[in-house]
Amino acid sequence: MKHALQSWLLLMMAFGSATVAAHKASDSFIYLDQSNPDATTLRVDLALRDLALVLPLDGNNDQQLTGAEVRAARPAITGLVAEGVTILSDQGNCALAGQQWGLSRHSDGPYAAARYGIQCPDGAKPTGITYDLLFDVDPLHRGLVQWTTTEGESLAVLGPDSNRLDLTASQPSMLGTFGTFLYEGVIHLLIGLDHILFLLVLILPATFVRQQQLKLSRTTPTVSFSTRLWELAGIVSAFTVAHSITLALAALDIVRLPIAWVEMVIALSIAIAALNVFWPILGKKTWKLAFGFGLIHGFGFASVLGDLTSGVSQTVTALAGFNIGVELGQLGLLVIFFPLLFWLGRYRLYARAAVPAMIVAVTGISLFWAVERAGAL
Amino acid sequence: MIRITNRPLTSCSDACECARQFTPGLRLTELYPALRGGVFSGLLALSLATPALGAPAPIQNDFRDDQVLLNLPNLSSTQTSDIRTAQQLAEQVQTHLQQARSEGDPRFLGYAQRLLQDWPDDRMTDRLRVLRATLWQSLHRFDDAREDLNQVLARDGDTQNHVQALLTLANLEIVQGRYSEALTACKQLEKLYPGLIAASCRAQVLARTGQADTVYTELKAQTQQAQGQGQGNTTAMLWAEGTLADIAAQLGRPEAEQHWRNVLALDPEDLYSRTQLADWLIQKQRFEQAVALTKGYDAVDSLAVLRAIALQATGSGQAKSLIASLDERFTEARWRGNLLHQRDYARFLLDIQQQPDEALTYARENWQSQREPMDTRLLLRAAGATGNSAVIDTTGEWLASINQRDARYPEVQP
Repeated sequence: MKHALQSWLLLMMAFGSATVAAHKASDSFIYLDQSNPDATTLRVDLALRDLALVLPLDGNNDQQLTGAEVRAARPAITGLVAEGVTILSDQGNCALAGQQWGLSRHSDGPYAAARYGIQCPDGAKPTGITYDLLFDVDPLHRGLVQWTTTEGESLAVLGPDSNRLDLTASQPSMLGTFGTFLYEGVIHLLIGLDHILFLLVLILPATFVRQQQLKLSRTTPTVSFSTRLWELAGIVSAFTVAHSITLALAALDIVRLPIAWVEMVIALSIAIAALNVFWPILGKKTWKLAFGFGLIHGFGFASVLGDLTSGVSQTVTALAGFNIGVELGQLGLLVIFFPLLFWLGRYRLYARAAVPAMIVAVTGISLFWAVERAGAL
Repeated sequence: MIRITNRPLTSCSDACECARQFTPGLRLTELYPALRGGVFSGLLALSLATPALGAPAPIQNDFRDDQVLLNLPNLSSTQTSDIRTAQQLAEQVQTHLQQARSEGDPRFLGYAQRLLQDWPDDRMTDRLRVLRATLWQSLHRFDDAREDLNQVLARDGDTQNHVQALLTLANLEIVQGRYSEALTACKQLEKLYPGLIAASCRAQVLARTGQADTVYTELKAQTQQAQGQGQGNTTAMLWAEGTLADIAAQLGRPEAEQHWRNVLALDPEDLYSRTQLADWLIQKQRFEQAVALTKGYDAVDSLAVLRAIALQATGSGQAKSLIASLDERFTEARWRGNLLHQRDYARFLLDIQQQPDEALTYARENWQSQREPMDTRLLLRAAGATGNSAVIDTTGEWLASINQRDARYPEVQP
């Protein structure tokens, strides 16, 4: 026990105070780069500490690895990689041609790293990679693969029970990502009650004719259904455009607001929009209201979107898909429910009882949310 | 009596067995779970997409020959060929587990697993099963651990193995918040091995289920008595002091600090107590002392995260490089896919990265398997920061159902 502590303290000192290597499980790092279709490269980084388990790196057995010892072990390390990492093709295994060799670093310390060019028989394309190093000394060891193609990059993990990565399976295409997020956008709209309630209060004013207007304009023909529908599509789109703006601002990390406050303001905005139906304190131009509140609603995504922009290569595509999905979901709801409400609007009971009831209910629910969310501030 | 199971294991390693199996061409859809309910929390899931990977560090060839690149750990033997008897194997496995625990280094868990995996089933002994259960617990394979322990307990066998199995089982149930199961194990332990350790076991469970005040007084008296009579061996004292510290902290009493310091005086390598004390100091805004306590532990995730928080609070220039290093570690860990130190990562996201939504996701996930006060407090704080009252409510309901009160989360008092 004491000895372990001492050797650990030694380890600390060796790395100095600036960057101390962390303890983590054993991983090797494999970078397969096919972004240039004519020159596939492979980089393999193996932790010196792991290599020392399977190769006699520490020539003088002093529990220290020096630069000279690692250099001396270069052929052995290269041989190990050649044995344990195989690039497959339809014409047989591909050859690894060393391009660069040296040391690299990951969060837990120094790694032996090498880059290879890949030459497959008859110029065939690589179809797979198998990895089989270190598992026999450490079943928790993993090979972490980053696979880069012209379409982007993806990550994989190779373990003792799954040591092969198929390179023929296509990467997620741009279209695929877009489609996925489009779908998520639609779903996202449909499962969120606050979103739907906000939509409801936006479309309500257009579904009935106020009594005053009826009295004043008995003779004028009522506005046609299709005009109303287009007007509404505009309102809803204004909402989406607005929240897309704030979403993008958030995604680019230009603006970030505290999420708890945003959530509370969102709840309040629904209540205000509901009350505005009868007391148009914010004006009757519903699209402006939709736009203004849309900005706030967009901030609802703010705190969670920051990470999206980094890392995933297809973030912009994903974001666009998602937004358009939300828009489609809104328009879909509109197409289904607006005719129903418009038809109900012909009955005086709808304007006199059903609409006020809905307004009261929505206001109540959203004020409840607002109080609840304020409590969490 | 081995010390491995002394305190709940915190070195819940990166090395979780449930490493994400390779999926051909991981797609974005596979990288985030189903969208949760509630419009404005919906996008949360998206942020869990692939970790942001910078370019890897360059390959350098200009290192000096006399430069010491790495000090190798002391691995007396990882060769299965040297091991002939179950006794030898047990000793080697125990050494690895101890190294994993005292250094917070999960690679040793892998070596232990290899040794146990290579050992023929028909030569398994109870002692090996108990050790294997400890390994499973460290890897968060709680059900596998339980299975091994129950197998040992179901058989008539060596008392010492039973004692060890009961302790490990009680520990496991406490960590998972299954207090009635834990109490059963503690009571059986009391019959088999009465003394401070069994008393601590019982006190821990009762404290977490509504009787903190009473059991603190009782256990303290018992500890002093044992000490006075010269009966308190080191292991027993570690158990008792650690438990007293936990209960005192739960009650919000300042004595907690002294109890933890007593533990660390006996065993400076008790990373669990060190973590708890560092967290306590941070809660009391005694950042300088937290910095001092965590000095030299940058390699251990739980302590490094707390150190980063404390360094940041003191405005230290060292904070930046430690945060960068933690960020790299967690990125690699997310790539590996089995989070792993979810608690530490959630804490890092909440207090360092100011990303409460992401923090809540990991804190929730963590809370599914670990329900120590540290885990519960983190969950509640993350939920509070995101304004997610539903999480606060359901957590509060669970706490009420077991009658757990804790000064560290006064917002939910049953």
